[in-house]
Amino acid sequence: MGLLAGKRVLSIMALCMMVGLLLLPIVVALPSLAIGEEAPAGDTAKKDGDKVEKGRDVYYKTEGIVVGAPAPKTVDGPRDYPRYNFESRVLLWFANQQHLYYGSFVLAVPIFCMIIEFMGVVTKDKALAKRYDQLAYDFIKISLTAYSLTAILGGILIFTFLTLYPAFFSYLSGIFRPVMHIYALMFVAESGTLYIYYYGWDKMKEGFLKWIHLSMSVILNIIGTLLMFLANSWIGFMMSPAGVDEQGRYLGNIWHVIHTALWNPLNLHRILGNMAFGGGVVAAYAAYKFLASKTDEDRAHYDWMGYIAMALGVAFLIPLPFAGYWLMREVYAYRQQMGITLMGGLLAWLFIIQATMIGILFLSTNYYLWQAMGRMRGAEKYQRYIKYLVFILACGYMVFITPHTMVMTPAELKAMGGQQHPVLGNYGVMSAKNGGINVIITTTVLSFVWYMRGNKVSTVSWAKFGNIFMGIFFACAYFNIIFLAVYGYYIPANVRVGLSVPQVATTLSCLFFMFALNSVMMKGAKQLGPIEWGKISARSQYALIMLATAFTWMMGLMGYIRSSVRLFWHVNEIMRDNSPWAYTHTVGFAANMISFNVLFFWITILFVFWLGSLGAKKVPVESKAGIPGSIPQPIASH
Amino acid sequence: MKALMSLGALIGVAGLLLLGGMVLDVVPSTYIRLVEGYMPIQMLLEVACYVIGFTGLSYTLNAMGMAIPRFWQGIGFWVFFLLYLKYRMYPPIPFSVRAMYGTVSLVAVFMWVSASEEDWQKFKQPIMNVLDAQTGGNRLLRYLYLVLLPILIGGFSFNAMMPKSEEPIELRTVHPAPPASTKVHGKTYTLQTSQNPYRVNPEGKYDQEFSNANIVEQGMGRLMKPNANPWDDKNQGYLKYVREGGEIFYQNCHFCHGDNLNGRGLHAFAFNPIPANFTDPGTIAQLQETFIFWRVSKGGIGLPNEGFPWASVMPPWEQHLTVDEIWKVVLFEYWHTGYYPRTWD
Repeated sequence: MGLLAGKRVLSIMALCMMVGLLLLPIVVALPSLAIGEEAPAGDTAKKDGDKVEKGRDVYYKTEGIVVGAPAPKTVDGPRDYPRYNFESRVLLWFANQQHLYYGSFVLAVPIFCMIIEFMGVVTKDKALAKRYDQLAYDFIKISLTAYSLTAILGGILIFTFLTLYPAFFSYLSGIFRPVMHIYALMFVAESGTLYIYYYGWDKMKEGFLKWIHLSMSVILNIIGTLLMFLANSWIGFMMSPAGVDEQGRYLGNIWHVIHTALWNPLNLHRILGNMAFGGGVVAAYAAYKFLASKTDEDRAHYDWMGYIAMALGVAFLIPLPFAGYWLMREVYAYRQQMGITLMGGLLAWLFIIQATMIGILFLSTNYYLWQAMGRMRGAEKYQRYIKYLVFILACGYMVFITPHTMVMTPAELKAMGGQQHPVLGNYGVMSAKNGGINVIITTTVLSFVWYMRGNKVSTVSWAKFGNIFMGIFFACAYFNIIFLAVYGYYIPANVRVGLSVPQVATTLSCLFFMFALNSVMMKGAKQLGPIEWGKISARSQYALIMLATAFTWMMGLMGYIRSSVRLFWHVNEIMRDNSPWAYTHTVGFAANMISFNVLFFWITILFVFWLGSLGAKKVPVESKAGIPGSIPQPIASH
Repeated sequence: MKALMSLGALIGVAGLLLLGGMVLDVVPSTYIRLVEGYMPIQMLLEVACYVIGFTGLSYTLNAMGMAIPRFWQGIGFWVFFLLYLKYRMYPPIPFSVRAMYGTVSLVAVFMWVSASEEDWQKFKQPIMNVLDAQTGGNRLLRYLYLVLLPILIGGFSFNAMMPKSEEPIELRTVHPAPPASTKVHGKTYTLQTSQNPYRVNPEGKYDQEFSNANIVEQGMGRLMKPNANPWDDKNQGYLKYVREGGEIFYQNCHFCHGDNLNGRGLHAFAFNPIPANFTDPGTIAQLQETFIFWRVSKGGIGLPNEGFPWASVMPPWEQHLTVDEIWKVVLFEYWHTGYYPRTWD
């Protein structure tokens, strides 16, 4: 009893320490917020009265006392742009992208751990709970090795900035000084929490201590998310500066500098993106292990792991296009020319590639689910309808990827009789594309519903009515989405933009209502057979690998697009990029560079996986025991 | 069910005959017209009809004991779709888009034939038979493939590498990114916030809703609204400005942009690409009025250089027209096409 009480005290102390670590950077950084070096200068200036210089915030349009130096007017030379005999921008691109890949991964995986550990804690089935716990542990173990690499890559990134872009980095760090300090200290807190979380796993595996352990994962994720928000404020500032005047002089309000026009949509988009990416990487890891497995038991375990990771990743992938849509809308609202450069002008081709990648993600997901139906008896009744889903998906996909301006030879252009094709040109604008992606997502939801009921027959008295209702609901959803996509051509553009809301609402209604209704209908349903984990086709695992690769490629692409939209500005309209590389790369070069980054990431992450496997912890014996084929069923399906 | 499937089979056969006729140039592509305003959805509906038809055909043949092997079903559908894009659609679709659609349809066919293990086995069986070459026929086929495939791939490579005399592809973007502001006749206009001074209600205030209510109807007819004829001399305010804009348009712009604003003016086909088609929902309907003001004022020569080549020969109209005239022309273009300028509220 005394030992238990002691443990509780210790764990509470550990938790307090975590909270303390979390608050420490804020406390330390507070003075610099209030009385930073510039602040006394401001006070002195106030006292002098006539010496006070005021500036107007370029975004918030508020007046503030100038407390910072103007943005440097750089010139091409060794002072502002020291270099090797290589393009500095490419070096920075590489360092940045690798850091981002790993950063995203190590921020996403603890969120998975938290969810899976929680599932383990609340699951009543002991064997299943243990398995969930083991899975969460496996995840965090992978993340731990990647965490060190993230820190190393972060260091490389900073050194690259300092050595190749000193003038720009000096300006940025001058403005964000308190934020950067908070960031650094939060990183310490993140590291401390992560290590205690990981190394305390076995010590805190039961009872109250388990809850403490779980709450530590919550703290870990809060810190991680805040870290990302802070980093986002820098890129938000570079794209849509605020808190400075036209000359780039800091006006003393750090919140304005952080809370720029694009900060919130960037935050949301990155959280969802990281989660989807993390799910993809873990699913690819599981797929690789599945394909390399020698025993049925291992195959069953990694099949299950791949499914869980995929389901979590896709759960965040589904809202991702909507978050992206919000981001683009805010970009347009912030600067029309920026929006047009992105989606109608210079970078529009990259958006077509992005649409292609998004489509691949959803197609891979659907394909995986259809393959997964093959491991459950009774799902055959749905498999014969898959061809119609394929048709719907393909139509939505083709509309989604049709470019507004087509690649064509002058001869083809002449034959077509104009720049816009009268049939396909209409697929190239937003109204049709919204329809396309919503059709794809709704079909993905339908695939999930079929998967969830694959080996079951509902026993509720109103099952027939429920099925008819679901069928009608989906049919109406498709009709509504397509109708609004067509109707969008007949109304003003600003109203048309608003049509995306009912389209998204329709898709999300399908997601939530149909999932909920299906769950109710399948409660106590008759099982036609167990899910035979491990008895899935190898093609499904390649689909998971495809999913992860597409995620990685798309992240690299979107990062490049987001950065390129500033064109020749370090900080949009404030600090001009006068280096010789202030031009936009060709699509081909960018694609090659992104591919190289993807390849490098996957090679290094394979190394990380290999390191993780060196100290592999065997699955507890009791959790392995059980009836063959009755390996725990995933939460999403039951 | 049987009757329905037979009907589907009939549709499938009729559709195939029609497409066959188009491929052999017996039936013109325009035999079944693509209706303006409904073309995009018409194409999808047509393909959907074909899919229904093929389903019926497959079912009927199956019932007759003449089932088409899954392998040929897959290959057949893919070939059908490629032919459909090439011979049914008009005006001709550029190769790049056909290649994209062809790839998507190939992936779709793969997803279909491999969705279940049973289907996948059925699909790959003929391939495996040829590879295993247990029979004389299959052995012969295997040798044929051994010879033909390298020749085919070599032919493609040769064709791809062979120097061609046609002009190269240009990755042209239609909407160049505008600047934040533009200076016309000495006055600076912020594109995000400026408004057309002639888009006014009877009280003389800027009112887009009022002007929207008086533009021509969209759709096939593009008819004028009742009591909204700008050429009625009694009309004042907005409609009068539209008329003035129309006069300026027909004196200066219609030679290239066409009297129906569809980019097919007298001189249009002297240029490649032909001038912008304002009736297309992808042009002015997507843009703020100030964007058009900027484009008209600065012309092709004033386009930003980050998106070269623009291939626009439009003159900078600020050298020929006053600011008021430019605004009125823009007003007329929106009125005539029935589109509303983009706003951000």
